[in-house]
Amino acid sequence: MTAITADASWLNTLHQGRVAFVRFCAYLGLIAGVSAMAAFGVEYDNAFLLRLLSAQGALWAGTGALAGLAAGVVLGALRPRLQESRIVLNTVPWLDGFLLMILLAMLWSRFEPAASAINYEDQSNLFSGRVIMAMNVIFIFSAVSYIAYLFAPESFIGRIATLSAYAGMYAGGSALLLRWYESYLLDVEIGHAPVSNLYEVFILLFVITTAVYLALERRYQAKAMGAFVMTLVSAGVFFGIWLDSIGQGDIKPLVPALQSYWMKIHVPMNFVGYGSFAVACGAGMAYLFRHRLEQKGSQSRLLKIFPTLEQLDQLAYKAVAIGFPAFTLATILGAAWAAEAWGGYWSWDPKETWALIVWLVYGAYLHARISHGWHGKALAWWAVAGFLVTVFCFLGVNMYLSGLHSYGRLS
Amino acid sequence: MPAMNSFSDHVKHIWLRLGSMSLAIILLVVLSIASVIGTVLLQNQQQADYLQQFGPLWYWTFRALGLFDMYHSWWFLTLLGFLMVSLAACLWRNVPRMLKEMKGRRAHLPERVMRRFRLHRQWQCADPEQERQRFKSALRGWEFSESEEGTTTSIRADKGRYNKWGYILVHAALLIILIGGWVSVQFGFRGDMIVPEGSSENEISFLKGTSREYMKMPFEVRCNSFTIDFFPTGAPKEFRSNLTIIDHGKEVLTKDIIVNEPLYYKGVRIYQASFGDGGSTIRFKLFHLDDFQQVEQVTTHVYDTWKDEKTGVSIEVTDFKPFNVENMAEPGKPKDFRDLGPAVEYIVRGPGLKPVKVKAFMNPFVDANGVNQGSFLMISLTGDAKDYKPFALGIDLSNAKEWQLLHAFLQHLSRNKAKDKKQRNLQAFRAALHDVYGDTPPKNIQQIAMRTLHAATTLPRLPWPYLPMLEDYDQVYYTGLQLARDPGMNIVWFGSALLVFGMCIMFYMPHRKLWLVLKRENNTTVAHLLGMSNRNEMAFAKTFNDVFINVSSAFAEHKDPTTKEKI
Ligand code: HEM
Repeated sequence: MTAITADASWLNTLHQGRVAFVRFCAYLGLIAGVSAMAAFGVEYDNAFLLRLLSAQGALWAGTGALAGLAAGVVLGALRPRLQESRIVLNTVPWLDGFLLMILLAMLWSRFEPAASAINYEDQSNLFSGRVIMAMNVIFIFSAVSYIAYLFAPESFIGRIATLSAYAGMYAGGSALLLRWYESYLLDVEIGHAPVSNLYEVFILLFVITTAVYLALERRYQAKAMGAFVMTLVSAGVFFGIWLDSIGQGDIKPLVPALQSYWMKIHVPMNFVGYGSFAVACGAGMAYLFRHRLEQKGSQSRLLKIFPTLEQLDQLAYKAVAIGFPAFTLATILGAAWAAEAWGGYWSWDPKETWALIVWLVYGAYLHARISHGWHGKALAWWAVAGFLVTVFCFLGVNMYLSGLHSYGRLS
Repeated sequence: MPAMNSFSDHVKHIWLRLGSMSLAIILLVVLSIASVIGTVLLQNQQQADYLQQFGPLWYWTFRALGLFDMYHSWWFLTLLGFLMVSLAACLWRNVPRMLKEMKGRRAHLPERVMRRFRLHRQWQCADPEQERQRFKSALRGWEFSESEEGTTTSIRADKGRYNKWGYILVHAALLIILIGGWVSVQFGFRGDMIVPEGSSENEISFLKGTSREYMKMPFEVRCNSFTIDFFPTGAPKEFRSNLTIIDHGKEVLTKDIIVNEPLYYKGVRIYQASFGDGGSTIRFKLFHLDDFQQVEQVTTHVYDTWKDEKTGVSIEVTDFKPFNVENMAEPGKPKDFRDLGPAVEYIVRGPGLKPVKVKAFMNPFVDANGVNQGSFLMISLTGDAKDYKPFALGIDLSNAKEWQLLHAFLQHLSRNKAKDKKQRNLQAFRAALHDVYGDTPPKNIQQIAMRTLHAATTLPRLPWPYLPMLEDYDQVYYTGLQLARDPGMNIVWFGSALLVFGMCIMFYMPHRKLWLVLKRENNTTVAHLLGMSNRNEMAFAKTFNDVFINVSSAFAEHKDPTTKEKI
């Protein structure tokens, strides 16, 4: 209905109806194939990625995808209404994006140095470092463009901002995947998913934050909010650059406590929470910004492109509504892991406790929204303050408090 | 404020208050603030450390408030209790109303209510039947109900009617999780067990408040072996214990456990938690420093103390490690980790001696160029591992010849009468070399000479009568296990599943309602479209617009089929 959806109509047909449905089924089949391989095809061990990239993996994944594709064609023909399902339409773009990241990572892997030139002591020649550097530059550029867009709301500036946010997201995601692969190049025994240290999860956080933001931007035309969200991401980028400069960016072997498939589920799920809360914080800041302008009686051109206060309020809620269930699930998964690894689902370890604190703060936010007496501005502050608590949970606990999660520490 | 004149009114009033949303918000905020305390103040440390850290006044204040084991203090548990009561009260208060609301779907909207809708469009229509058909076909999958009241026909469409179940499930789930936690604390246990390789154990110990308590298990655990595996980088990769469960004298099961993969027996889970030395056998060579002839062999164990009767000097062996990976790089250079081989730690005590902690390595130090630099120790004068200083002994004590050489050198030196010191050293060394090696001196004689000279000056400086060096060992580890039984765990998992499920309903299946109200006035009909969603109004506003475009005859006439959007 808007200009944006209209001029991308060929994209729309790709994301609708039969094409989307069949693709969705193929993805499901692929995921099922890979999961089946994890469950039955190999003894669980850390070299899973290598197995996946071998002929064995191609067989399992390919069979799954083909079966899914066939099932999709048949189901689509039998029950045309399934093709209009919201779940399909909402998930397919995400899966497409993920596939694109994988393809990009495969492309980057062509540029790796020769095996003889790769060594553990000096990892600076690995290609992921370069992709991450590109990501850093792109994200900062994107933040600058979004801010420029606020002052000069030309649509082409906005488009550049959005495009660069997409580019940064794909660079970051593919760099992480590449890093996963590289960890095996260093040594098969070292190989592990790239979610084990602060540097890696930082990149994950950028990618997820940007993805959540872009999803909201696409659905609600909330471009002006990008200035705030991408500025947060850029601040993170500088922190990441600093981490790398003090030698925290290297791939290190996994300590025994982290050698578990739970890590691959628990950590990314947590970051869906963190990323969404970051977006909510961006919406909160945008709210406060607009509120300030309105109070001063500003006639700025800005106000025309800016979402209204009410929309911003809703966007913050929307982001929390994505983050809160994800964070809840992540905490439960963490508890399940703790139960399996340490014998108790809850031991009041500082990280756990701070996760609970974050959860309680957003729980209170959700209640405050419903109950009377709490209005936009206070809630916007709450969203901002909630994110500060989140940042402490994410960074502060690792840096200042000790506990079972101390692997995330700077060493 | 209602009038309160009887006791039951009071109770009812309090009950209502307990279930109120404002109390919920206050409780959540207070709980989160309280939780912070326990993360800032390290929990369950040694009382002596607290006393030292805070001084007596604050120590006793904090102790009285239970801050050293805060999450089990009476006031924190009371807060959690309040949360449970509050959850129960709000469920009690809201569930019946919600169940009723979910059932009843009155289609009719009074005029006064209609005016309050934010999503409201109206238009004139010629053929209301068409509007009605389009309304129904645009909303496939929705539930409809209709009512006629006078000249007004109302059609109501509902989607996500069961959204309120989300609320019920989430809050009930929280209650269940809290109950599960309570069951865990009341009826479960968790403690540490240390089992040396080859031994068995049936008792666990745990902290309760400020003291340590013990508990017998209904079975014995024997540790058959404990092994550590390393990454190529030297970092530990895997800790593995081979355990046998012995129940009433019978071996019932033998299994390997590693971190993240525990053993389960009779409701008790057994986890790999730590490891240490389990009393390895240590064979020392005592190099007597007063009488250089003598080298004595002594066999002892880690955690044992060996005492020399003649001098009264004792060695208490505190630890043994077969691998000692240390950063050998100079400060500021890239890290260079190397394994220095087996080392034993002991404390030397004796009459007139200051107790000193020593870490003695079995192998001599070989530098990056492969040159043997002789044996060495780490000595800590304070007894703290942080204060270890390397101490090079000069000669390689693992090589008997070098010890003989030093001995011969010192003898020749004492007999040599040459005036010049350099000359004297040279002659004495040549003579000693001949005594020990005959006519075939080793190739690296240059270095040996330097080191022997070094040893001749440093060794006599040691205050002890003898120097204990590690000769050989038989390593025994202990495996540190954690045993836990947690009867509340399954309740918690059940609650967690409900929680996630409930949240999905609550957040992603909003209850959306649309009304098509057709009001006949004389011979025209005015159609009203009204909409309401209990969540995510922005998305719903779009949906509402789409429905309006699809339903309203004004639009329907020249509608472009491609703009039809999903609802
Ligand atoms: C650990 C504590 C709690 C959590 C995590 C929690 C979670 C939630 C969530 C996520 C919502 C939905 C908010 C939304 O619509 O976006 C909600 C709604 C609500 N909660 Fe809680 N809650 C908690 C405790 C309580 C307590 C103690 C009470 C009552 C005293 C309460 C009363 C309510 C009520 C009345 C609603 C509104 C339901 C509706 O009309 O949709 N909650 N809660």
